[in-house]
Amino acid sequence: MTADAPTGFRYIGRRRRPKEDRRFVVGAGRYAADVMLPGMLHVALVISPHPAARITRIDATAALKLPGVRAVVAGDELAQATEPVFTGLDLPKMKRYPLAPGVVRYVGEWVAVVVAKTRALAEDAAELVEVEYEPLPHVIDPEAAMAPNAPPVHADHGSNVFYRRRFVWGAVDADFGAAPHTIAYRARWHRSATVPIETFGVLARWNPATQLLDVWASIQMPKFPDNLARALRLPGSAVRVHFDVDVGGSYGVKRGLKHSIVVGYLTRKLGAPVRLIEDRLDNMRGGDAHGPDRIFDVEMAFGDGGLVRAMKMRAIDDVGAYAGRAPLQLGKPVGAIVGPYRIRSVAYEPISVSTNKTPEEAVRGFGQSPTNFAIETGMDLIARKLGVDRVELRRRNLIRKDEFPYTIPSGSTYDSGDYHAVLDKVLVAADWNALMRRRDAARAAGRLAGVGLSCCLEPSGGNAAFEPLLNPKNETTTWMEGCHVKIDLTGAVVAAMGTSSSGQGHETLVSTVVGEMLERDPETIRVVHADSLGALPSNSPVGSRMAIMLGGAAAGAARKVKSQLIAIGAHNLDAAPEACVYADGAVALATDPARRLSWTQLVEIAHRKFHLLPPGMEPGLQATHVWEVPTGGALPTADGRVQMYPCYAFEAHVVYAEVDRVTGQTALRAYFVGHDCGVMINPDIVHGMTYGGIAHGIGAALYERFHYDGNGQLLGGSFMDYLIPSSHEVPDITIVDHCTPSPLTTFGQKGSGEAGYLGAPAAIASAVNDALAPLGLHIASLPMTVAALGDLLATKDRAK
Amino acid sequence: MKAVDFDYEQPRSVAETCRLLGETGREARLLAGGQTLAPLLAMRLARPAVVIDINRIEEFQGIDAEAESVVIRACTRQSRALADPIVQSRLPLLAKALSFVGHVQTRNRGTIGGSLANADPSAEIGLAALALDAEIEARSATASRRIPIGDFFISPMVTALAPDECLTVVRFPLPQGAVGTGFREASIRRSDFALAAVAVQLVLERGVCRSLAVSLGGAGATPVKLTAIEHKLLDTRLGDAELAEAGRLAHDAIDAVSDIHASAAHRRRIAGALTMRAIAEARDEALAGRA
Repeated sequence: MTADAPTGFRYIGRRRRPKEDRRFVVGAGRYAADVMLPGMLHVALVISPHPAARITRIDATAALKLPGVRAVVAGDELAQATEPVFTGLDLPKMKRYPLAPGVVRYVGEWVAVVVAKTRALAEDAAELVEVEYEPLPHVIDPEAAMAPNAPPVHADHGSNVFYRRRFVWGAVDADFGAAPHTIAYRARWHRSATVPIETFGVLARWNPATQLLDVWASIQMPKFPDNLARALRLPGSAVRVHFDVDVGGSYGVKRGLKHSIVVGYLTRKLGAPVRLIEDRLDNMRGGDAHGPDRIFDVEMAFGDGGLVRAMKMRAIDDVGAYAGRAPLQLGKPVGAIVGPYRIRSVAYEPISVSTNKTPEEAVRGFGQSPTNFAIETGMDLIARKLGVDRVELRRRNLIRKDEFPYTIPSGSTYDSGDYHAVLDKVLVAADWNALMRRRDAARAAGRLAGVGLSCCLEPSGGNAAFEPLLNPKNETTTWMEGCHVKIDLTGAVVAAMGTSSSGQGHETLVSTVVGEMLERDPETIRVVHADSLGALPSNSPVGSRMAIMLGGAAAGAARKVKSQLIAIGAHNLDAAPEACVYADGAVALATDPARRLSWTQLVEIAHRKFHLLPPGMEPGLQATHVWEVPTGGALPTADGRVQMYPCYAFEAHVVYAEVDRVTGQTALRAYFVGHDCGVMINPDIVHGMTYGGIAHGIGAALYERFHYDGNGQLLGGSFMDYLIPSSHEVPDITIVDHCTPSPLTTFGQKGSGEAGYLGAPAAIASAVNDALAPLGLHIASLPMTVAALGDLLATKDRAK
Repeated sequence: MKAVDFDYEQPRSVAETCRLLGETGREARLLAGGQTLAPLLAMRLARPAVVIDINRIEEFQGIDAEAESVVIRACTRQSRALADPIVQSRLPLLAKALSFVGHVQTRNRGTIGGSLANADPSAEIGLAALALDAEIEARSATASRRIPIGDFFISPMVTALAPDECLTVVRFPLPQGAVGTGFREASIRRSDFALAAVAVQLVLERGVCRSLAVSLGGAGATPVKLTAIEHKLLDTRLGDAELAEAGRLAHDAIDAVSDIHASAAHRRRIAGALTMRAIAEARDEALAGRA
């Protein structure tokens, strides 16, 4: 591993043990399910076995007779008492409630909840709840759902199309008309997700005396406390979400708003704490946590040398039965719709379609990884069509270092990058020519071997402008993050952040940044997760934003405190602040460093000695900073041009794979990735994210899929059938770092939370297709399972 | 995923186990390694009235070498069998098969008899037992009997054991001569359930195949012995043409099912290819040894 370590930093960019490691390694994490309250009740779910049906009768008599059962609540009761669950698109006729009132729309949808003294009892009672259904016509295939006569998932909405618009940026038709070559292809990304070890869990306690709802949840969701309060018809001040619980993995999917509404309602109804901890089956079928499910139809127009001039992309996304924030995942790729390439005109037509499947939720990259896969599929097809080397084709199309800042047709400006340098670095690390020789030797021995390549971007730190882009009634133009820094009377530094963490190492991030600014050892800096009533504005760790946004907020707050320390020092040295220097927490005269005030003296003055404070200064040492997204703040233009993300990280993947000609098994034998996310705050955390992201990408490329049959039954609903890569399937991965600082952020950092995942599926598809090329076969559908590859290879056997 | 209420018994002897199994009026399940039963209980797919935990019974543990066979007691852990020098030296096919059974962690709990009695059609131990012509000993409160492995597997998760019987011992006869073994399995990830698996044991005499057993699992309702291949290849030198013929026979012989992980046609193709590879592996091993 080579690293271009940033210079001039004391702690940033240094390899230091993450602050969180100790508690996780010794098993001292504290998750939602670890929170125990006296008298706590447990929820089990009654679910729909039908993909579409009218509920004609619910009889809970037998269930309520079981000793220990406290309540059975069904959809009508809950819908009366709560507001519908948040919807991201403008769909006034699509109502979504945690428990289906009247009509069920997917297998696994919650029909009723049973509350009992133990979860086992609740499950016993759930089996006794009698529900009668009148089946309705259903639709599973998204293209079939778009037909005018398709069974409607939401009859009131009038169509299964939730969103459709064709954006045109630049002279697409003229560019297509003038180009000597075009290709058209379909790329399919089937439904997968992140499946964290910890399922979603939530515990709520209503205190009637204080009129306060306490919530401990495994949550990673923007504006969760506000959404929960609105749904429960409570003021925001009556809902206190405790962000100090650890979240056992998420990468997007921990959005249990419906779960939280249920327990929030139940604890008020029953006067006891109530918790709902999903089991794995609950999580997979009805946790509403499946990821994007995409059909891309793409056309590219290009010149003789392979320079791509224009692209048309239609993206159908099957969001399942309801629309939360997930459909907005069609919007994020607008911010990087041409990938790292100089494509000058684009037509993009996102189509959000509902079917009778489990609803979709946000997954790592928010739609970017499928889009990257669709673009990279085209790059390989063009190379194949023109007979140009795949690396050379990308070199010709990549944006050059001297072109930054670079504005793409959809209106977003890329901040910085050196894509050619990163690509060259990874090719050297992988020894591309040696890999090709290895491939050729394997082929000569009769094996199917391929080398894959992908280049892509990670847009990071966004302002959520996909909200107004896809929903004109939504005028969100800020996606700020806050941090509070204080120095107490003992001289200890405490920083407060306003959200929970799901493994990203935010405590390390904040302590490193604050330590850097104040020149104090980050080990000594405590980072706390304030609850939602005490917290600052936060938009949670989504969109690969925390290094940028929380890092910027923490730096801003620390800078203010530092200014206060300098002002105190200067006042007591009878000097102007500009005449003083700050070093290691002490303030000294620039011209006479022996005249100084130590950290302890400065803290004492701030907290105790008002008479020594500069006139007008507040006592104590604390500051808050709320950082707005750099480059953010504007609504999209009428034609849908928008600056969505300020920072763009780049990655280039190289992978060597072999495919068993008979069994269709794919083995990844070597993996390299070049990665540039600007200045890394903590390299180990960035590398850990990248390893995990590649493993996740291997799953999406080869193994993971939520299969549905034609009757809407989920066939891959447990780890028996939903296969995630294990340590056997993930090869050794070599990460090659490169650093192009962002000019827009405090330290030059960019986002990295989605690293690896954004390019791995495309690279693995590239390798598999290279392996299949000698047979004249091609696959552009993920995951490339044993079933899919086996049947594809068999077509060649028969032809022989 | 919380089990339905059940009674729990912890007998201290085989006799006590059989007595508990013989108590009529309630459905009983034996708990050995629990690698299948525990999740089935949690998912409420198994709802026995009583779970009889046989993990603490000494008589159920151990591996013994006899003159013409090796005896493995039912509750012997798979990892112990895999590491056992008797198994390694005298039952190489079983040793090969065991390395495909789950992961180290599951083998540390899972047992030889538990896997056999569970009768999962993709299980490796049963597949090897079939190729090795093993014999099952079963005991009830009133009687005991021996069941040839060929009669043992009835359908997925169903065996010839009566509800009041427990599997006590499995006996593997020892082959004589220049033995070669082959075990091949294809699964999606390493140690997943087999899409197809093939076990082969053969004896060569001056390069000519004098004894051959081929069994195939993972693709149908139970593991099956491919006797047609055995007849076809006996007294040949197992050349390329014979292997290709064996592959075709395996491909055509099995009654495979389609699911999300592989089509029936794909399973048959895999079975054919693995059969060729496993026979070749066994042949080469025998040739390299004493033949």
